[in-house]
Amino acid sequence: MEIEFQRVGKKYETGQEALSQVSFHLQQGEMAFLTGHSGAGKSTLLKLIMMIERQSHGKIIIDGEDLLSLSRKYIPFHRRKVGVVFQNHQLLFDRSVFHNVALPLQVSGADPQHVAKRVRAALDKVGLLGKEKYNPMALSGGEQQRIGIARAVVNKPQLLLADEPTGNLDPRLSAEIMNLFQEFNRVGVTVLVASHDLSLIARMHHRVLTLNQGRIVNDGGFS
Amino acid sequence: MSQKPEPRGATRQTLSGTTSNKTRLSQPFNFTSYLRDHQSTLLESLMRLVQDPLASIMTVMVIAIALSLPGGLYVGLKNVQSITDQWDNQSVISLYLFADLEDTKALALSHQLSSRSDVLNVMYISKEEGMRYFEQSSGYEQILSALPENPLPIVLQVIPTYDVSVETLSSLEALRTELASAPEVEYAELDAQWLHRLASVLSFGQRFVYALSALLIGAVLLIVGNTIRMAVERRRDEVLVMKLVGATDFYIRRPFLYMGFWFGILGGYWLV
Repeated sequence: MEIEFQRVGKKYETGQEALSQVSFHLQQGEMAFLTGHSGAGKSTLLKLIMMIERQSHGKIIIDGEDLLSLSRKYIPFHRRKVGVVFQNHQLLFDRSVFHNVALPLQVSGADPQHVAKRVRAALDKVGLLGKEKYNPMALSGGEQQRIGIARAVVNKPQLLLADEPTGNLDPRLSAEIMNLFQEFNRVGVTVLVASHDLSLIARMHHRVLTLNQGRIVNDGGFS
Repeated sequence: MSQKPEPRGATRQTLSGTTSNKTRLSQPFNFTSYLRDHQSTLLESLMRLVQDPLASIMTVMVIAIALSLPGGLYVGLKNVQSITDQWDNQSVISLYLFADLEDTKALALSHQLSSRSDVLNVMYISKEEGMRYFEQSSGYEQILSALPENPLPIVLQVIPTYDVSVETLSSLEALRTELASAPEVEYAELDAQWLHRLASVLSFGQRFVYALSALLIGAVLLIVGNTIRMAVERRRDEVLVMKLVGATDFYIRRPFLYMGFWFGILGGYWLV
Protein backbone atom coordinates (compact mmCIF):
# COMPACT_ATOMS: atom_id res chain seq x y z
CA MET A 1 0.00 0.00 0.00
CA GLU A 2 1.34 3.39 -0.96
CA ILE A 3 1.45 6.42 1.29
CA GLU A 4 1.84 9.92 -0.08
CA PHE A 5 2.00 13.11 1.98
CA GLN A 6 1.76 16.38 0.06
CA ARG A 7 2.78 19.45 2.11
CA VAL A 8 0.79 18.20 5.06
CA GLY A 9 0.36 20.41 8.13
CA LYS A 10 -1.38 19.72 11.40
CA LYS A 11 -2.25 22.47 13.81
CA TYR A 12 -4.05 21.54 17.02
CA GLU A 13 -6.85 23.66 18.43
CA THR A 14 -4.49 24.77 21.16
CA GLY A 15 -2.46 26.52 18.44
CA GLN A 16 0.41 24.05 18.67
CA GLU A 17 1.75 23.20 15.23
CA ALA A 18 2.60 19.49 15.27
CA LEU A 19 3.47 19.09 11.58
CA SER A 20 4.13 21.51 8.78
CA GLN A 21 4.95 21.11 5.10
CA VAL A 22 5.52 17.37 5.42
CA SER A 23 5.95 15.68 2.04
CA PHE A 24 7.13 12.16 1.37
CA HIS A 25 6.17 9.14 -0.64
CA LEU A 26 6.34 5.59 0.64
CA GLN A 27 6.19 2.99 -2.12
CA GLN A 28 4.22 -0.20 -2.02
CA GLY A 29 6.29 -2.78 -0.12
CA GLU A 30 8.79 -0.23 1.23
CA MET A 31 10.00 -0.19 4.83
CA ALA A 32 10.92 3.07 6.53
CA PHE A 33 11.68 4.44 9.99
CA LEU A 34 10.31 7.64 11.36
CA THR A 35 12.55 9.25 13.92
CA GLY A 36 13.07 12.46 15.80
CA HIS A 37 13.07 13.75 19.36
CA SER A 38 9.91 13.33 21.42
CA GLY A 39 7.32 15.90 20.40
CA ALA A 40 8.73 16.16 16.88
CA GLY A 41 5.45 14.93 15.42
CA LYS A 42 6.02 11.19 14.94
CA SER A 43 2.83 10.12 16.69
CA THR A 44 0.81 12.86 14.99
CA LEU A 45 1.96 11.64 11.59
CA LEU A 46 0.86 8.09 12.39
CA LYS A 47 -2.46 9.38 13.76
CA LEU A 48 -3.10 11.16 10.48
CA ILE A 49 -2.57 7.92 8.56
CA MET A 50 -4.93 6.12 10.97
CA MET A 51 -7.47 8.96 10.67
CA ILE A 52 -7.43 9.43 14.44
CA GLU A 53 -6.60 13.05 13.59
CA ARG A 54 -7.21 14.97 10.40
CA GLN A 55 -4.69 17.24 8.76
CA SER A 56 -5.15 21.00 8.70
CA HIS A 57 -3.31 21.53 5.40
CA GLY A 58 -2.13 19.49 2.44
CA LYS A 59 -3.15 16.18 1.14
CA ILE A 60 -2.66 12.57 2.28
CA ILE A 61 -3.17 9.83 -0.27
CA ILE A 62 -3.22 6.25 0.96
CA ASP A 63 -3.94 3.36 -1.34
CA GLY A 64 -4.99 5.87 -4.02
CA GLU A 65 -7.47 7.60 -1.74
CA ASP A 66 -7.46 11.18 -0.59
CA LEU A 67 -8.17 10.84 3.11
CA LEU A 68 -10.00 14.18 3.20
CA SER A 69 -12.55 12.83 0.75
CA LEU A 70 -13.47 9.96 3.08
CA SER A 71 -16.38 10.70 5.37
CA ARG A 72 -16.46 9.76 9.04
CA LYS A 73 -18.51 6.72 8.18
CA TYR A 74 -15.64 5.17 6.21
CA ILE A 75 -13.01 5.55 8.95
CA PRO A 76 -13.58 2.03 10.39
CA PHE A 77 -13.18 0.51 6.93
CA HIS A 78 -10.01 2.50 6.35
CA ARG A 79 -8.59 1.27 9.68
CA ARG A 80 -9.27 -2.34 8.77
CA LYS A 81 -6.73 -1.96 5.96
CA VAL A 82 -4.03 -0.68 8.30
CA GLY A 83 -2.37 -2.72 11.06
CA VAL A 84 -1.04 -0.74 14.01
CA VAL A 85 1.29 -1.63 16.85
CA PHE A 86 1.24 0.72 19.82
CA GLN A 87 3.96 1.51 22.30
CA ASN A 88 1.73 0.64 25.25
CA HIS A 89 0.37 -2.25 23.14
CA GLN A 90 -3.31 -1.46 24.04
CA LEU A 91 -4.17 -5.02 24.99
CA LEU A 92 -7.35 -5.88 26.87
CA PHE A 93 -6.68 -7.75 30.08
CA ASP A 94 -10.22 -9.02 30.52
CA ARG A 95 -9.77 -11.66 27.82
CA SER A 96 -7.28 -14.23 26.58
CA VAL A 97 -4.45 -13.75 24.10
CA PHE A 98 -6.61 -15.45 21.48
CA HIS A 99 -9.48 -13.01 21.89
CA ASN A 100 -7.17 -10.01 21.87
CA VAL A 101 -5.71 -11.06 18.55
CA ALA A 102 -9.14 -11.96 17.18
CA LEU A 103 -10.57 -8.49 17.84
CA PRO A 104 -9.93 -6.91 14.40
CA LEU A 105 -11.57 -9.89 12.69
CA GLN A 106 -14.51 -9.95 15.07
CA VAL A 107 -15.34 -6.29 14.60
CA SER A 108 -15.46 -6.82 10.84
CA GLY A 109 -17.91 -9.68 11.30
CA ALA A 110 -15.70 -12.56 10.17
CA ASP A 111 -16.80 -16.17 10.33
CA PRO A 112 -15.63 -17.78 13.65
CA GLN A 113 -13.85 -20.66 11.91
CA HIS A 114 -11.95 -18.25 9.71
CA VAL A 115 -11.12 -16.17 12.80
CA ALA A 116 -9.65 -19.17 14.64
CA LYS A 117 -7.51 -20.07 11.65
CA ARG A 118 -6.20 -16.55 11.12
CA VAL A 119 -5.50 -15.98 14.83
CA ARG A 120 -3.43 -19.16 15.09
CA ALA A 121 -1.50 -18.23 11.96
CA ALA A 122 -0.75 -14.76 13.34
CA LEU A 123 0.29 -16.13 16.75
CA ASP A 124 2.48 -18.66 15.01
CA LYS A 125 4.29 -15.88 13.13
CA VAL A 126 5.16 -14.06 16.36
CA GLY A 127 6.09 -17.33 18.13
CA LEU A 128 3.23 -17.37 20.67
CA LEU A 129 1.13 -20.24 19.34
CA GLY A 130 1.20 -22.16 22.61
CA LYS A 131 -0.04 -19.24 24.68
CA GLU A 132 -3.36 -18.40 23.08
CA LYS A 133 -5.36 -19.31 26.20
CA TYR A 134 -3.26 -17.19 28.57
CA ASN A 135 -4.28 -13.81 29.88
CA PRO A 136 -1.89 -11.20 28.40
CA MET A 137 -1.22 -10.01 31.95
CA ALA A 138 0.58 -13.28 32.66
CA LEU A 139 3.07 -12.71 29.84
CA SER A 140 6.28 -10.69 29.71
CA GLY A 141 6.64 -7.25 28.15
CA GLY A 142 8.25 -8.63 25.00
CA GLU A 143 5.51 -11.24 24.64
CA GLN A 144 2.81 -8.62 25.16
CA GLN A 145 4.32 -6.53 22.39
CA ARG A 146 4.29 -9.58 20.13
CA ILE A 147 0.59 -10.10 20.88
CA GLY A 148 0.11 -6.51 19.75
CA ILE A 149 1.94 -7.31 16.52
CA ALA A 150 -0.12 -10.46 15.97
CA ARG A 151 -3.27 -8.39 16.38
CA ALA A 152 -1.96 -5.81 13.91
CA VAL A 153 -1.30 -8.39 11.20
CA VAL A 154 -4.18 -10.82 11.82
CA ASN A 155 -6.33 -9.46 9.01
CA LYS A 156 -3.39 -9.29 6.60
CA PRO A 157 -3.15 -5.53 6.20
CA GLN A 158 -1.06 -4.15 3.36
CA LEU A 159 0.23 -1.39 5.61
CA LEU A 160 1.77 -1.86 9.04
CA LEU A 161 2.39 1.08 11.35
CA ALA A 162 4.25 0.93 14.65
CA ASP A 163 4.59 3.66 17.26
CA GLU A 164 7.67 3.11 19.42
CA PRO A 165 7.17 -0.66 19.40
CA THR A 166 10.39 -1.27 21.30
CA GLY A 167 9.94 1.56 23.77
CA ASN A 168 9.99 -0.54 26.93
CA LEU A 169 12.11 -3.48 25.75
CA ASP A 170 15.73 -4.39 26.22
CA PRO A 171 18.03 -4.33 23.16
CA ARG A 172 17.85 -8.06 22.46
CA LEU A 173 14.01 -8.11 22.51
CA SER A 174 13.94 -4.88 20.50
CA ALA A 175 16.01 -6.48 17.78
CA GLU A 176 13.66 -9.47 17.71
CA ILE A 177 10.63 -7.21 17.28
CA MET A 178 12.34 -5.28 14.48
CA ASN A 179 13.19 -8.53 12.74
CA LEU A 180 9.52 -9.44 12.84
CA PHE A 181 8.65 -6.20 11.06
CA GLN A 182 11.31 -6.93 8.49
CA GLU A 183 9.80 -10.34 7.85
CA PHE A 184 6.39 -8.84 7.19
CA ASN A 185 8.01 -6.34 4.88
CA ARG A 186 9.71 -9.15 3.00
CA VAL A 187 6.29 -10.58 2.02
CA GLY A 188 5.19 -7.25 0.53
CA VAL A 189 3.70 -5.31 3.44
CA THR A 190 4.51 -1.60 3.54
CA VAL A 191 5.98 -0.88 6.98
CA LEU A 192 6.45 2.46 8.76
CA VAL A 193 7.99 2.35 12.24
CA ALA A 194 8.28 5.37 14.50
CA SER A 195 11.20 4.97 16.87
CA HIS A 196 13.89 7.00 18.58
CA ASP A 197 16.18 4.03 19.06
CA LEU A 198 18.82 5.37 16.68
CA SER A 199 21.41 2.63 17.19
CA LEU A 200 18.84 -0.02 16.37
CA ILE A 201 17.63 1.89 13.29
CA ALA A 202 21.22 2.27 12.09
CA ARG A 203 21.68 -1.49 12.02
CA MET A 204 18.53 -2.08 9.94
CA HIS A 205 19.64 -0.30 6.74
CA HIS A 206 16.28 1.10 5.71
CA ARG A 207 15.01 4.48 4.69
CA VAL A 208 14.81 6.94 7.60
CA LEU A 209 12.56 10.00 7.79
CA THR A 210 13.75 12.42 10.45
CA LEU A 211 11.31 14.89 11.94
CA ASN A 212 12.33 17.99 13.83
CA GLN A 213 9.70 20.32 15.20
CA GLY A 214 7.11 19.08 12.76
CA ARG A 215 9.27 19.25 9.64
CA ILE A 216 11.12 16.55 7.76
CA VAL A 217 14.76 17.48 8.05
CA ASN A 218 16.27 14.35 6.59
CA ASP A 219 14.93 11.68 4.23
CA GLY A 220 17.21 8.89 3.20
CA GLY A 221 19.44 6.11 4.40
CA PHE A 222 20.86 6.33 7.88
CA SER A 223 24.19 8.09 7.97
CA MET B 1 4.18 28.71 -9.41
CA SER B 2 4.55 25.98 -11.95
CA GLN B 3 2.73 23.65 -9.54
CA LYS B 4 -0.48 25.68 -9.63
CA PRO B 5 -2.31 24.00 -12.48
CA GLU B 6 -1.18 20.55 -11.41
CA PRO B 7 -3.36 20.02 -8.29
CA ARG B 8 -6.55 20.52 -10.26
CA GLY B 9 -5.79 17.63 -12.60
CA ALA B 10 -4.52 15.58 -9.71
CA THR B 11 -7.72 16.20 -7.79
CA ARG B 12 -9.86 14.95 -10.60
CA GLN B 13 -7.75 11.85 -10.92
CA THR B 14 -7.88 10.96 -7.24
CA LEU B 15 -11.54 11.76 -7.03
CA SER B 16 -12.44 9.28 -9.71
CA GLY B 17 -10.08 6.81 -8.06
CA THR B 18 -11.81 7.45 -4.75
CA THR B 19 -15.27 6.57 -5.95
CA SER B 20 -14.16 3.18 -7.18
CA ASN B 21 -12.24 2.60 -3.96
CA LYS B 22 -15.16 3.47 -1.75
CA THR B 23 -17.24 0.69 -3.13
CA ARG B 24 -14.41 -1.65 -2.34
CA LEU B 25 -14.04 -0.21 1.14
CA SER B 26 -17.52 -0.97 2.32
CA GLN B 27 -17.62 -4.71 2.29
CA PRO B 28 -20.69 -6.45 0.87
CA PHE B 29 -23.39 -6.74 3.47
CA ASN B 30 -23.36 -10.23 4.91
CA PHE B 31 -26.66 -11.07 6.58
CA THR B 32 -25.50 -14.28 8.27
CA SER B 33 -22.56 -12.63 9.94
CA TYR B 34 -24.79 -9.70 10.91
CA LEU B 35 -27.27 -12.05 12.56
CA ARG B 36 -24.52 -14.04 14.25
CA ASP B 37 -23.01 -10.84 15.65
CA HIS B 38 -26.33 -9.76 17.06
CA GLN B 39 -26.95 -13.15 18.60
CA SER B 40 -23.58 -13.30 20.30
CA THR B 41 -23.82 -9.70 21.52
CA LEU B 42 -27.26 -10.39 22.93
CA LEU B 43 -25.96 -13.33 24.96
CA GLU B 44 -22.72 -11.63 25.85
CA SER B 45 -24.46 -8.57 27.27
CA LEU B 46 -26.69 -10.85 29.37
CA MET B 47 -23.60 -12.68 30.61
CA ARG B 48 -22.07 -9.38 31.65
CA LEU B 49 -25.12 -8.59 33.75
CA VAL B 50 -24.95 -12.02 35.37
CA GLN B 51 -21.24 -11.57 36.11
CA ASP B 52 -21.99 -8.52 38.24
CA PRO B 53 -25.19 -9.73 39.91
CA LEU B 54 -25.43 -7.24 42.77
CA ALA B 55 -25.28 -4.12 40.61
CA SER B 56 -27.59 -5.66 38.01
CA ILE B 57 -30.18 -6.77 40.57
CA MET B 58 -30.19 -3.32 42.15
CA THR B 59 -30.78 -1.61 38.82
CA VAL B 60 -33.48 -4.11 37.87
CA MET B 61 -35.20 -3.61 41.23
CA VAL B 62 -35.15 0.16 40.92
CA ILE B 63 -36.76 -0.16 37.48
CA ALA B 64 -39.37 -2.59 38.80
CA ILE B 65 -40.27 -0.36 41.76
CA ALA B 66 -40.40 2.78 39.65
CA LEU B 67 -42.69 1.04 37.18
CA SER B 68 -44.87 -0.64 39.81
CA LEU B 69 -45.84 2.61 41.57
CA PRO B 70 -47.83 4.21 38.73
CA GLY B 71 -49.06 0.80 37.62
CA GLY B 72 -50.43 -0.01 41.08
CA LEU B 73 -52.01 3.40 41.49
CA TYR B 74 -53.66 3.17 38.11
CA VAL B 75 -55.15 -0.22 38.94
CA GLY B 76 -56.47 1.13 42.26
CA LEU B 77 -58.08 4.07 40.53
CA LYS B 78 -59.74 1.84 37.97
CA ASN B 79 -61.11 -0.31 40.78
CA VAL B 80 -62.71 2.63 42.57
CA GLN B 81 -64.26 3.69 39.30
CA SER B 82 -65.70 0.26 38.60
CA ILE B 83 -67.08 0.01 42.15
CA THR B 84 -69.29 3.01 41.48
CA ASP B 85 -70.39 1.38 38.23
CA GLN B 86 -71.43 -1.81 39.97
CA TRP B 87 -73.18 -0.04 42.83
CA ASP B 88 -76.71 -1.15 42.17
CA ASN B 89 -77.82 2.12 43.46
CA GLN B 90 -80.94 3.63 42.03
CA SER B 91 -80.82 7.33 42.16
CA VAL B 92 -83.82 9.24 43.39
CA ILE B 93 -84.82 12.74 42.51
CA SER B 94 -87.05 14.10 45.26
CA LEU B 95 -89.53 16.74 44.13
CA TYR B 96 -90.87 18.88 46.97
CA LEU B 97 -94.15 20.34 45.76
CA PHE B 98 -95.59 23.67 46.94
CA ALA B 99 -97.31 23.22 50.29
CA ASP B 100 -100.59 24.79 49.11
CA LEU B 101 -100.89 22.51 46.05
CA GLU B 102 -104.02 20.45 45.81
CA ASP B 103 -103.77 16.67 45.98
CA THR B 104 -105.41 16.17 42.57
CA LYS B 105 -102.87 18.39 40.81
CA ALA B 106 -100.06 16.54 42.55
CA LEU B 107 -101.48 13.21 41.46
CA ALA B 108 -101.84 14.48 37.89
CA LEU B 109 -98.18 15.52 37.89
CA SER B 110 -97.23 12.13 39.27
CA HIS B 111 -99.04 10.35 36.43
CA GLN B 112 -97.59 12.69 33.86
CA LEU B 113 -94.06 12.05 35.08
CA SER B 114 -94.37 8.30 35.24
CA SER B 115 -95.27 8.22 31.55
CA ARG B 116 -91.89 9.75 30.61
CA SER B 117 -89.43 7.43 28.90
CA ASP B 118 -86.52 8.34 31.18
CA VAL B 119 -88.53 7.77 34.33
CA LEU B 120 -88.91 4.27 35.69
CA ASN B 121 -91.29 4.93 38.52
CA VAL B 122 -92.79 7.72 40.58
CA MET B 123 -93.61 7.28 44.25
CA TYR B 124 -96.29 9.56 45.60
CA ILE B 125 -95.80 10.48 49.25
CA SER B 126 -98.76 12.34 50.64
CA LYS B 127 -98.50 14.84 53.50
CA GLU B 128 -99.79 12.24 55.97
CA GLU B 129 -97.41 9.54 54.79
CA GLY B 130 -94.59 12.01 55.00
CA MET B 131 -95.52 12.82 58.57
CA ARG B 132 -95.64 9.16 59.46
CA TYR B 133 -92.17 8.49 58.02
CA PHE B 134 -90.84 11.51 59.79
CA GLU B 135 -92.32 10.50 63.14
CA GLN B 136 -90.88 7.02 62.84
CA SER B 137 -87.43 8.06 61.79
CA SER B 138 -86.97 11.13 63.97
CA GLY B 139 -88.64 10.01 67.22
CA TYR B 140 -90.13 13.49 67.80
CA GLU B 141 -93.69 12.12 67.90
CA GLN B 142 -94.82 14.26 70.82
CA ILE B 143 -93.42 17.47 69.46
CA LEU B 144 -94.86 16.80 66.03
CA SER B 145 -98.30 15.99 67.38
CA ALA B 146 -98.24 19.36 69.10
CA LEU B 147 -98.13 21.14 65.76
CA PRO B 148 -101.40 22.78 64.73
CA GLU B 149 -101.23 21.49 61.16
CA ASN B 150 -99.01 19.24 59.01
CA PRO B 151 -96.17 21.45 57.68
CA LEU B 152 -94.80 18.85 55.25
CA PRO B 153 -95.31 19.19 51.48
CA ILE B 154 -96.30 16.44 49.10
CA VAL B 155 -93.17 14.71 47.82
CA LEU B 156 -92.79 12.89 44.51
CA GLN B 157 -89.86 10.49 44.41
CA VAL B 158 -88.83 10.10 40.79
CA ILE B 159 -86.69 7.09 39.94
CA PRO B 160 -84.92 7.49 36.59
CA THR B 161 -84.43 4.55 34.24
CA TYR B 162 -80.67 4.60 34.60
CA ASP B 163 -78.55 3.79 37.59
CA VAL B 164 -76.47 6.34 39.32
CA SER B 165 -72.76 6.32 38.59
CA VAL B 166 -69.99 8.70 37.69
CA GLU B 167 -70.82 8.29 34.02
CA THR B 168 -74.58 9.03 34.25
CA LEU B 169 -74.17 11.93 36.61
CA SER B 170 -74.50 14.66 34.00
CA SER B 171 -77.74 13.28 32.49
CA LEU B 172 -79.23 12.90 35.98
CA GLU B 173 -78.36 16.51 36.64
CA ALA B 174 -80.09 17.54 33.43
CA LEU B 175 -83.23 15.63 34.43
CA ARG B 176 -83.26 17.25 37.83
CA THR B 177 -83.08 20.76 36.38
CA GLU B 178 -85.87 19.95 33.97
CA LEU B 179 -88.12 18.64 36.72
CA ALA B 180 -87.31 21.57 38.95
CA SER B 181 -88.68 23.95 36.34
CA ALA B 182 -92.21 22.50 36.57
CA PRO B 183 -94.63 25.07 38.14
CA GLU B 184 -95.80 22.67 40.84
CA VAL B 185 -92.30 21.93 42.07
CA GLU B 186 -90.81 24.10 44.76
CA TYR B 187 -87.50 22.31 45.02
CA ALA B 188 -85.91 19.29 43.32
CA GLU B 189 -83.08 17.41 44.95
CA LEU B 190 -80.78 14.86 43.38
CA ASP B 191 -79.35 12.70 46.09
CA ALA B 192 -75.93 12.54 44.53
CA GLN B 193 -73.76 15.13 46.18
CA TRP B 194 -71.35 12.43 47.23
CA LEU B 195 -71.08 11.33 43.62
CA HIS B 196 -70.01 14.80 42.59
CA ARG B 197 -67.26 14.73 45.12
CA LEU B 198 -66.17 11.24 44.16
CA ALA B 199 -66.06 12.20 40.50
CA SER B 200 -63.82 15.17 41.16
CA VAL B 201 -61.59 13.14 43.47
CA LEU B 202 -61.29 10.47 40.79
CA SER B 203 -60.39 12.94 38.06
CA PHE B 204 -57.80 14.50 40.33
CA GLY B 205 -56.48 11.03 41.11
CA GLN B 206 -56.23 10.25 37.43
CA ARG B 207 -54.25 13.39 36.73
CA PHE B 208 -52.03 12.64 39.69
CA VAL B 209 -51.33 9.12 38.42
CA TYR B 210 -50.54 10.43 34.94
CA ALA B 211 -48.12 13.02 36.30
CA LEU B 212 -46.49 10.48 38.60
CA SER B 213 -46.19 7.98 35.74
CA ALA B 214 -44.51 10.56 33.53
CA LEU B 215 -42.05 11.39 36.30
CA LEU B 216 -41.25 7.79 37.14
CA ILE B 217 -40.89 6.73 33.52
CA GLY B 218 -38.51 9.65 33.09
CA ALA B 219 -36.66 8.40 36.16
CA VAL B 220 -36.42 4.89 34.70
CA LEU B 221 -34.97 6.29 31.47
CA LEU B 222 -32.41 8.27 33.44
CA ILE B 223 -31.48 5.27 35.59
CA VAL B 224 -30.99 3.00 32.59
CA GLY B 225 -29.15 5.76 30.73
CA ASN B 226 -26.85 6.37 33.66
CA THR B 227 -26.18 2.67 34.21
CA ILE B 228 -25.20 2.32 30.58
CA ARG B 229 -23.08 5.45 30.71
CA MET B 230 -21.20 3.98 33.66
CA ALA B 231 -20.76 0.72 31.80
CA VAL B 232 -19.30 2.64 28.85
CA GLU B 233 -16.98 4.44 31.24
CA ARG B 234 -15.83 1.12 32.75
CA ARG B 235 -15.17 -0.32 29.31
CA ARG B 236 -13.49 2.78 27.96
CA ASP B 237 -10.25 1.00 27.07
CA GLU B 238 -12.14 -1.67 25.20
CA VAL B 239 -14.12 0.90 23.23
CA LEU B 240 -10.92 2.73 22.36
CA VAL B 241 -9.13 -0.40 21.15
CA MET B 242 -12.15 -1.54 19.16
CA LYS B 243 -12.31 1.80 17.42
CA LEU B 244 -8.62 1.57 16.56
CA VAL B 245 -9.00 -1.86 14.97
CA GLY B 246 -11.85 -0.70 12.77
CA ALA B 247 -15.09 -1.25 14.66
CA THR B 248 -18.00 0.82 13.42
CA ASP B 249 -19.95 3.00 15.83
CA PHE B 250 -22.92 0.63 15.46
CA TYR B 251 -20.78 -2.32 16.48
CA ILE B 252 -19.51 -0.51 19.56
CA ARG B 253 -22.94 0.72 20.57
CA ARG B 254 -24.63 -2.65 20.16
CA PRO B 255 -23.65 -4.35 23.46
CA PHE B 256 -24.72 -1.28 25.41
CA LEU B 257 -28.07 -1.10 23.67
CA TYR B 258 -28.64 -4.77 24.40
CA MET B 259 -27.72 -4.13 28.01
CA GLY B 260 -30.52 -1.57 28.19
CA PHE B 261 -32.80 -4.08 26.53
CA TRP B 262 -32.03 -6.67 29.20
CA PHE B 263 -32.54 -4.18 32.02
CA GLY B 264 -35.94 -3.32 30.57
CA ILE B 265 -36.97 -6.96 30.16
CA LEU B 266 -35.74 -8.04 33.59
CA GLY B 267 -37.23 -4.98 35.32
CA GLY B 268 -40.57 -5.64 33.64
CA TYR B 269 -40.43 -9.33 34.54
CA TRP B 270 -39.64 -8.55 38.17
CA LEU B 271 -42.57 -6.16 38.27
CA VAL B 272 -44.95 -8.86 37.06
